[in-house]
Amino acid sequence: MPDIDYSFLDDDLLIELSQLELDDYIIELAWSSNGENLAAITVEGKVFLVNKYADIIKYKLIGQHDKGGNSVSWRSDGKEFATVGHDGKIKIWDGISGNEIISLEAGDSWVSKAIYNPHSNWLASAAGRQLRLWDTNREVFYESSDHSSTIADLGWSPDGSGVAVAAYNGVTLHVPHKQKQPRKYSWKGSSLVLAWSPDARYIATGEQDSTVHFWHRASGEDDRMYGFPTKVLELSWNSTGRWLATGGSSSVILWDCSGKGPAGRKPREYLAHSNKLTQVAFQPTGELLASTGKDAVLAIWDPMKHDKIIGRKILSAPASSLRWNKDANLAIGQEDGRVAIFKLKS
Amino acid sequence: MLDNNKYDRIPVTVLTGFLGSGKTTLLNRILTENHGKRIAVIENEFGEIGVDNDLVIGAEEEIFEMNNGCICCTVRGDLIRILSNLMKRRDKFDHIMIETTGMADPGPVAQTFFMDDELREALNLDGVVTLVDTKHVLLHIDDSDEVKEQIAFADVILLNKIDLVSATELDQLEARIHAMNSAAKIYRTQDAVIEMDKVLNLGGFDLDRALEIDPKFLEPEYPFEWSGLFEFSAGDYYFALQPGPDPAMNINFRLADNASEAGMRETVEKAVLVFSSDEISLKSGSVIEPSEQLSKINLEGEKLKYILRVPNAGSYVLYTEHHPEEFAAIITDAAGNQVKSLFNREFKPDHEHDEDVASVGISTPGDLDPKKFEPWLRDLLAKQGPDIFRMKGVLSFSESSERYVFQGVHMLFDGRKDRPWREGERSNSLIFIGRNLDREQLNKGFSECLI
Repeated sequence: MPDIDYSFLDDDLLIELSQLELDDYIIELAWSSNGENLAAITVEGKVFLVNKYADIIKYKLIGQHDKGGNSVSWRSDGKEFATVGHDGKIKIWDGISGNEIISLEAGDSWVSKAIYNPHSNWLASAAGRQLRLWDTNREVFYESSDHSSTIADLGWSPDGSGVAVAAYNGVTLHVPHKQKQPRKYSWKGSSLVLAWSPDARYIATGEQDSTVHFWHRASGEDDRMYGFPTKVLELSWNSTGRWLATGGSSSVILWDCSGKGPAGRKPREYLAHSNKLTQVAFQPTGELLASTGKDAVLAIWDPMKHDKIIGRKILSAPASSLRWNKDANLAIGQEDGRVAIFKLKS
Repeated sequence: MLDNNKYDRIPVTVLTGFLGSGKTTLLNRILTENHGKRIAVIENEFGEIGVDNDLVIGAEEEIFEMNNGCICCTVRGDLIRILSNLMKRRDKFDHIMIETTGMADPGPVAQTFFMDDELREALNLDGVVTLVDTKHVLLHIDDSDEVKEQIAFADVILLNKIDLVSATELDQLEARIHAMNSAAKIYRTQDAVIEMDKVLNLGGFDLDRALEIDPKFLEPEYPFEWSGLFEFSAGDYYFALQPGPDPAMNINFRLADNASEAGMRETVEKAVLVFSSDEISLKSGSVIEPSEQLSKINLEGEKLKYILRVPNAGSYVLYTEHHPEEFAAIITDAAGNQVKSLFNREFKPDHEHDEDVASVGISTPGDLDPKKFEPWLRDLLAKQGPDIFRMKGVLSFSESSERYVFQGVHMLFDGRKDRPWREGERSNSLIFIGRNLDREQLNKGFSECLI
């Protein structure tokens, strides 16, 4: 393994604001759009709401999904958020008080995901092989036929017109109202995660067979990237949609999607971890990139400037969720149930 | 990289068997028995299961092909998803049980533990336990690939519902299953009653235990099950039998040099040759003289009696295809007094030609040259991977003071260093279970990898 270059490391870059002990593996975190509230769901299905006023942080347990938790998503206005779990339910929570607003029956068993549309505030949910879309009255207005396996991931297109579904045999794009038949992006393999590029040119997928696919949304063709030592569960686009960061190894890999796309171009590689990545995330606005690994290291990069690590922290356990807010605060959910919140030196 | 050996991998038991074989009964037994383990159960068939403190998760079988449909690369997507989730709560249980549907192919289930990097690191396939409904299995065993594969993949086979079949039927079934999978431990059960340590924590790698249970499984196989040496005077003796499980069997009656175990042993190889020659069919009452002739004696009807005609006093050996006890066979002299053998020997029967699924065991002292062994195994798996259901073994590599233990499924292979060899212990033992395996080629290929 090549030596890690620490010559650009700034030990003071990351300032820890808080360490919360939620005592249970954190499945997912999500910031509200104003960056003041953070929702967390744990593997046992506990739902926490964290409020951040300036640099003061308080949290409370607000409820639970019986049997286990799977996912959390905020509505774009920050007034409410949704959680799903193994109990077949979508629970909607008040974004300020944390009170449960309603519990919706969304499937017979696991509901793996529920994600708000960034524009219409519709909710897309996945339970088993079926996609359901809910309107703002919390009524189902669209139900897909069964996909070829349990749905692994969902993502609204950036303009909110359609929702892409990742499952065995590739990606399916559902555009309710406009399109009678969903569009297939077929691949004989199991797609585990997907990420829309912010300009909607690409749907990237991480695959069980240790590849990353870049589906050209318009043409339906794909570029396949090989060479990952493990399945790929980590994908993050930069804010412009030119670069995709991927995990699937102990290095952060950046693929250049400008022009004709990543095919035939050598990707950039960033070394800081001694074990495979668990999370990778570009800032939603801004240039920085954060990564975490099984080595429980948090690394911060300024990847457009150079390939050297600029910030580093040792966590008490590997990170299972990593989220930036608009103010460049970084929330890290960990396997040991802790949530660490950092801000950047100004 | 983290060293996986330092981490305790969670043991996983896979439970297979046709509908009605007693899987749910066994599972309930495992969940209610006081063994001190917290067990997470993944079940594909929804039964009446539900015990406090244990985690029971339902799943729908999802077969994922990888790499364009090679059977060696199919995995169970549902298991990857659920097991990945279980790994996030690994402090909540000590053992995982997976109950498959009756028709499930165990291949993709087992391969899931080799193909998925995350599961491979965290879990250890402790054992495949196959339940067999002794009453009904014979209806399926000849034409069902699923039954054969469930037997071939097993580490432990429970012949269940033994109260519904006769002892003879059970013996035949067990012999047949044993020939298909010599590495599996076979237990006879009623209502799936079995001690927990016979099905849990087998240690998927521990071939020592398989060898303990059946020391004969690495021996060569013979076309006969029994031989006996007799001292006869000149004259006629009677070989009397009762009807048994087979309508006929091959025997060879021959002279031996002297009345000793060595004298009998010297005739074995010649008898093997005789058993591969053409037989003559004989009816009850026929005369059999000592010779190089293979006789096929009819075993249907009542009061079966064959005459062994002895020309001169001396030592004679009788070889029988099946065990004489199966036919309550006795030998008497002309006066009707029973004559017992001075020595007898039981042989491991060769059933390989009856079954397309069989086991090949290799046991040999010496050290392996990794530079020869690795390409040999890679080439073997590339060519015969689809036909090899399982393999496991303990190997002695030169330049290593530790045992190397491995197991594999089709083309997939997982091995690691184990404890150090003890004094005088070094040797190689391995077994392949599969279709169309060439015993001689495998033995020859393996021995060429020795230093």
